[in-house]
Amino acid sequence: MLGTFIITWRETIEAALIVGILLTFLEKIGQSKQFRFVYWGAFGGVVGSLAFAGLSDYMSEFFRDIGQDLFEAAILFLATLVLTHMVVWMHHNAREIKGDLQKQAEQAISGNRLWALAVLAFIGVFREGVETVLFLWGLFLQEGAFESVAPPVFGGLLGIGLGVLMTWLFFKGFGHLSLKPFFKVSGIILLFMAAGMLSSGFGKLVAVGLVPPLIEPIWNTSWLLNERSFIGSLASGIFGYRSHPSLIQAVVYLLYFPVAVIWLRRQKHDLAQ
Amino acid sequence: MTPGLSAATDEIHVVIKDHQFSPSEVRVKANTQIKLILQNDDPTAEEFESFSLNRERVVRPGQSITIYLSPLKPGSYEFFGDFHPDSAKGKVIAE
Repeated sequence: MLGTFIITWRETIEAALIVGILLTFLEKIGQSKQFRFVYWGAFGGVVGSLAFAGLSDYMSEFFRDIGQDLFEAAILFLATLVLTHMVVWMHHNAREIKGDLQKQAEQAISGNRLWALAVLAFIGVFREGVETVLFLWGLFLQEGAFESVAPPVFGGLLGIGLGVLMTWLFFKGFGHLSLKPFFKVSGIILLFMAAGMLSSGFGKLVAVGLVPPLIEPIWNTSWLLNERSFIGSLASGIFGYRSHPSLIQAVVYLLYFPVAVIWLRRQKHDLAQ
Repeated sequence: MTPGLSAATDEIHVVIKDHQFSPSEVRVKANTQIKLILQNDDPTAEEFESFSLNRERVVRPGQSITIYLSPLKPGSYEFFGDFHPDSAKGKVIAE
């Protein structure tokens, strides 16, 4: 029961972090009524996870061997793009919003940028959701009397509940930050998440033999931070930390930051004109 | 264990049954590219995970996947099933 509790708890924290940042961001710019976009996206993510995990019987050809990993890599690359887009958008809003916060936010938000909120919430939940559903579904199917299966399933559901509650409390506390520091902190968190997703996507392509790892591993930092530890597993899930990364993973992780900064600068320049 | 198909790549087969890897100890040649073919004979999904091998892949019930491993230095590399970490444990021994 404890094992399943920890697994679903960890996955939920990862997904809830993205949803929490989006909701806090909207609240900060006085757009709480747009919460529905985030909720729709998150709800879609749950439904999508259930559907995708359940598709295995009907799409076993597609999922045979590398199908699932290619699909996951595609989701990770899409997530990298949408997250970066989100940071650029938040950055732009933080700069614009000075005087009449409410009015400016409405102007900024009236553009058709809201799809990004829904897409991001969807991806945030979907990415972790498929694995959680496969895992919990597996528990249901496990041989043996139902009594023996009930505790782990209960532990799994309890983990989801606690993950959501903890993230909610975290943002309740975090919400006291004023606008600028909030944008800074959440922007940095999102950029590291995006770099981690890009690097994880490459990791999947390496595992199925489509991309050469170049050198693997290039180093071993398990003495410093081990993925088996609680902090290590969070760092791995949220920021894409790997103790034995391949060179290609490290390169794309590090290259992501200058590219994202150029994107940020360019958008700022365009918008100023 | 299983002879390699070519000089460059070694192929090894592992089966998941009752949430356990069989064989749970796999011997491979060091400094050789490895194709690990993992067959899941359980009715539930499993996730092959190894921190030292830097691999993490889901294998659905009744399916098999091919995991490419980089050439390994001599040593022991642990792996486990993330969905059943208490029973699904194993290691690759490169020598």
